[in-house]
Amino acid sequence: MAKCETKYWGQLDYSQDAVIDFPAGIPGFEQERRFVLIEQRELDPLVFLQSLATPTLCFLSLHVRVVCRDYKLSISDEYLETLGLQRTSQPSIGPKLACLALLHIDENEVTTNLLAPIVIHIPARRGAQAIQTGSDYSLQHRIDLVEAAVCA
Amino acid sequence: MLMMKRRAGESILIGDDIEIHLAHIGRTRVKIGIQAPRNVPVVAKEVKLVRDRNLAAAELRLEGALAKLAARVSSPRLQGNGPPADERQ
Repeated sequence: MAKCETKYWGQLDYSQDAVIDFPAGIPGFEQERRFVLIEQRELDPLVFLQSLATPTLCFLSLHVRVVCRDYKLSISDEYLETLGLQRTSQPSIGPKLACLALLHIDENEVTTNLLAPIVIHIPARRGAQAIQTGSDYSLQHRIDLVEAAVCA
Repeated sequence: MLMMKRRAGESILIGDDIEIHLAHIGRTRVKIGIQAPRNVPVVAKEVKLVRDRNLAAAELRLEGALAKLAARVSSPRLQGNGPPADERQ
């Protein structure tokens, strides 16, 4: 087991086969090539994307299907190639393909980026932030918060 | 915004240093060649928007508020709609 410094939990153990390689980094963080996914039962459904190179860099995300039940991927050949997927058809989200929407908080509103999900080809351990082509998904998709829904 | 009509193979000049060449016009997409000085960043607009979004998301500081956030984003009406167990690690 290797150890990495994390943004929220200090030092954590991880196995090499948990490392996801982002050959192109992600926009704004092109040099960040290696991340691990962290999920903690008490923080479900949050999924954390922790950089191995930069302990302070840890994105929060949600599986897209938690945000949008019928979310569909439509990504270009370039991303499919990066992920080690065949170009013949659009991949479907499932056990072999995780699709995460990065989360952000703006002025008390929680938004997720559905336009450019983090797509991870699990068997290949490869990831990319794939900007959807020809879709109407939002860069700042607001999600309804539990308390907000109750209070409304 | 300035609008111009151009055909495939034609170009547009912006200032002295930037040339936009319409290489190919397909049914739904156009292929564009761009010649610009090295110090002029050329990037698809959505990449710039995603980059700005990522930079902002990376600044989130939530240490003590993670559990509260997790509880608030787990909407009951969407429960049971998560990924299969083997997608998680």
